[in-house]
Amino acid sequence: MRICRREFIARAGLGLGTLSVLGADLSASREGTNGVVTFQEADPRQTGVMWVHDNAMSPQHYLPETEPPGVAVFDYNNDGNTDLLLVNTGECVFFHPTTPHRHALYRNNGDGTFTDVTEEAGITANLFAMGVAIGDYDGDGHQDIFITGYEKSVLYHNNGDRTFTDVTAASGIHPPGWSSSAVWFDYNNDGKLDLYVSQFVDYSSLRTCGQADSYGGKMDGATPEQRFYCAPRIFRPTSNRLYRNEGGGKFTDVSEETGISKSRGKGWGVVVTDINNDGYMDIFQANDMVANFLFVNREGKRFEEMGLAAGVGYSMDGVPRSGMGVDAADFNDDGWQELFVANIDQEIFSLYLNNRDETFDDVAWKTGIGPVTRMLSGWGLKFFDYDNDGRTDLILSNGHPDDFIDLRSRGVTYREPMVLFHNEGNGKMLNVSEQSGEVFKKRICARGLAVGDLNNDGYPDVVVGVNGGVPLLLYNNVESKNNWLGLKLVGTTANPAAIGAILKWSAGGRVHHRLKNAGGSFLSSHDPREILGLGKSEKVDWLEITWPRPSQRVERFSELPINRYITVVEGKGTTRP
Amino acid sequence: MESDSGACASVYLIGHLTCMVLATMLPAGLLSGQAAQAPEAVLQEAEALHRAGKLDQAIEDYRLFLAQHPEVVQVRSDLGAALAGAGRYEEAITEYKRALKLQSLPRIRLNLALAYFKANQPALAAKELEQVRVKMPDDLRAAMLLADCYLRLGENKKVIQLLDPLEPSQADKLAITYMLGNALVRDGQVARGQVLIDKILRNGDSAEARLLMGITKLMMNDVPGAIVDLQKAVELNPTLPSAHAYYGRALRNAAKPEEAEKALRAELGLNPNDFDSNLYLGVTLKEEKKYDEALRFLQHALEVRPGDLGVLFQIASLHLAERNFDLAQQELEALVKAAPNFLEAHVALATLYYRVKQKVDGDREQAIVAKLTAEQQAREAAAQLPGKGEGSNKAQPPMQSPN
Repeated sequence: MRICRREFIARAGLGLGTLSVLGADLSASREGTNGVVTFQEADPRQTGVMWVHDNAMSPQHYLPETEPPGVAVFDYNNDGNTDLLLVNTGECVFFHPTTPHRHALYRNNGDGTFTDVTEEAGITANLFAMGVAIGDYDGDGHQDIFITGYEKSVLYHNNGDRTFTDVTAASGIHPPGWSSSAVWFDYNNDGKLDLYVSQFVDYSSLRTCGQADSYGGKMDGATPEQRFYCAPRIFRPTSNRLYRNEGGGKFTDVSEETGISKSRGKGWGVVVTDINNDGYMDIFQANDMVANFLFVNREGKRFEEMGLAAGVGYSMDGVPRSGMGVDAADFNDDGWQELFVANIDQEIFSLYLNNRDETFDDVAWKTGIGPVTRMLSGWGLKFFDYDNDGRTDLILSNGHPDDFIDLRSRGVTYREPMVLFHNEGNGKMLNVSEQSGEVFKKRICARGLAVGDLNNDGYPDVVVGVNGGVPLLLYNNVESKNNWLGLKLVGTTANPAAIGAILKWSAGGRVHHRLKNAGGSFLSSHDPREILGLGKSEKVDWLEITWPRPSQRVERFSELPINRYITVVEGKGTTRP
Repeated sequence: MESDSGACASVYLIGHLTCMVLATMLPAGLLSGQAAQAPEAVLQEAEALHRAGKLDQAIEDYRLFLAQHPEVVQVRSDLGAALAGAGRYEEAITEYKRALKLQSLPRIRLNLALAYFKANQPALAAKELEQVRVKMPDDLRAAMLLADCYLRLGENKKVIQLLDPLEPSQADKLAITYMLGNALVRDGQVARGQVLIDKILRNGDSAEARLLMGITKLMMNDVPGAIVDLQKAVELNPTLPSAHAYYGRALRNAAKPEEAEKALRAELGLNPNDFDSNLYLGVTLKEEKKYDEALRFLQHALEVRPGDLGVLFQIASLHLAERNFDLAQQELEALVKAAPNFLEAHVALATLYYRVKQKVDGDREQAIVAKLTAEQQAREAAAQLPGKGEGSNKAQPPMQSPN
């Protein structure tokens, strides 16, 4: 079902203020210079998304408490509306809730409201969940769910009847310890989705910390007994996991044979992209307090860790930073992927420009991102074209992991504002947060962030997971009046999610590039559909899709509709959903 | 006849080391019995000119006299004083050294130290002052000047060792309290430093007290609080040494690079040889990719502290960033040779080798990085070192020499 944006906003209860604004002249430019709020926070009482994350915060301050939750935006029932999955904490060695905590699967009713279908869908696993990765691993056309967690992770198979079955035991996917972000992609180009799981530290000691070995500076009045969240520095790094999809719901741990387990890190966000355009998807993982990993895929057989060699492991001064959120995109539209990492306060976030020779230069300062992010600690984030002008913008969600940081380090806060950057097209990213809605003035404990079009209006919305709080649904009301084309790609020979597909299109005579990446952000999973921003162009001149291996089929389309979604099935042309 | 304007708080209090007193030491016999145009007349004229502040002419006359009597220690020393007064420190240092070769007098050595100090060579000044202190252990001026040198050199423990015994008996000397408080705070002995700050504050709001409070807050990671105090310090005394420097550092930590630059430049306007300001301004400009200008300040920092590994690393890192690979390679290779455990330098060198396609060398360096990192992690896991966000140094560019 597709409804118009104005109607959707009205139904979603975005407030009379918004309606009156929308009643005004809508010819304003993107930043709402006529008072239009670019991103409007939806009222949970209206949307029905009332679920609250329980961070299990204890006096002992066990480190896993402060990191989740991740969120997912995906269409679990193939009705054309993007649904929400929000994961929660639960039973584990250091946490024993008296009543079981519940995750929340919200079905999008297509009218601005959501219905909690968690129990009927069977998403009831009791674990201390961190994040979520969505992918159709068996190619049956229904999106499956992998939930990461502390001590335990869960794979749910989508039965295609609005229910899921826990298939973890038989799957062969059993990452040990503390799993954080995960991502589905086809590493060996056999057409099946494999699974990469990043692992954080060895927390088996359950060590809790006093002031000396925790985050932040000294706090007046703290007693020796006072517990703080430990700095990850004091925990041992661990190896990540790669699972090869053997078909039939079986996976093999190939971490060792592919070289993945050789590198031990403290992994948070992970994004899959192709940094050298060789047709094999590479893995970029943000590590906390140790160098980031760039696993370059050597023909689907092994991965070469090149973080240092590529210049993305450390700061320009040779210092490892506290990498958390991560993403990749062709920021400057030159056909090569850039990398992004959100770090902790004082470290400045990193935007690594691709030099096209498997090396990168950090241009965060030059683009304007550096000064804005110096005092922030970043988690979920996403490159996306929020105003469909054809350029890649960026949204960041932030918050410090230490709940005492306000008392220990003035100028740094536990709750932090989100930031929205607009790509000016001249190598500069303009901080447009102030004029993009009240939500950017709000301070929150943001963690996971997923982008998806909740109302099918072609303008991507944002869902933010809040540690110990209610998730934020941010509806994109930008009044750019730019045109767009939405694509749902379905691989047949290629992997079903078409991860690795290269999109090239021309609008108004200007040619754009996009690689269909996988993962990114922090503990979260985005709407798998692609939205091509056309600017003021009234048509798509042409669209070329290079399907990933093993297909490598190149298909070229013209006479495409605009301002709607279409489905493109590899080798079978386009259909309208 | 030297004056000591504007160098630092202690120097204000040291006052004037005049050559008038020293001139009276000139042996009378030397001047008696000489003709009217004889050297003694030239010397008298020199002294008169010196007193009148006509230093260039005085220097000329002193030199005329010394051309005929090069062995007269006191006149040689007076010449040094006149040269120092004229801001010609290098020449002054030469004359003081010559005088000391003739006779090793502690007061001349004190003048030599002062000339070094004013020439922004605190390490050399400290060396001379340590000798002076052996001969004149009770000389408060020497002690204070030495403490100031140590402070500038970051030798906080030495400052404490030197001034701790003096402070109780010199309660009226705020400069001593100030320097000791400063050293205690910088040494992390914040509570003790706070006591001295309170003592200064009892004398009313002052730039010195505000500076100390600002430094304290900066070290405790209270950046907004530090900014308030440091801003007040520079308002109360815009020429207070180090006030603009710390204000700039606080602003830099508060993500206000333009204001930080302005403050650091203000410090350098007062004291072009302030090491920290040159370094921080250089690093700030480097971050902003203003490489040429950044290099100038970093090189100046290196002139102030020759051989400082932290500065050498910043310069090499700058050359790497601007893709001057040949130069960066030379510098980094020298750096890791001088400091084999300098992890960041190994990282930069590995990066460089990969950039210039010297994979074997890159792999070798990367192996060293892995080894050093593992050792560091093992130490951290065992020692429970402070975590991220502690102070403003987390993942800050390395600005100090490695251990």
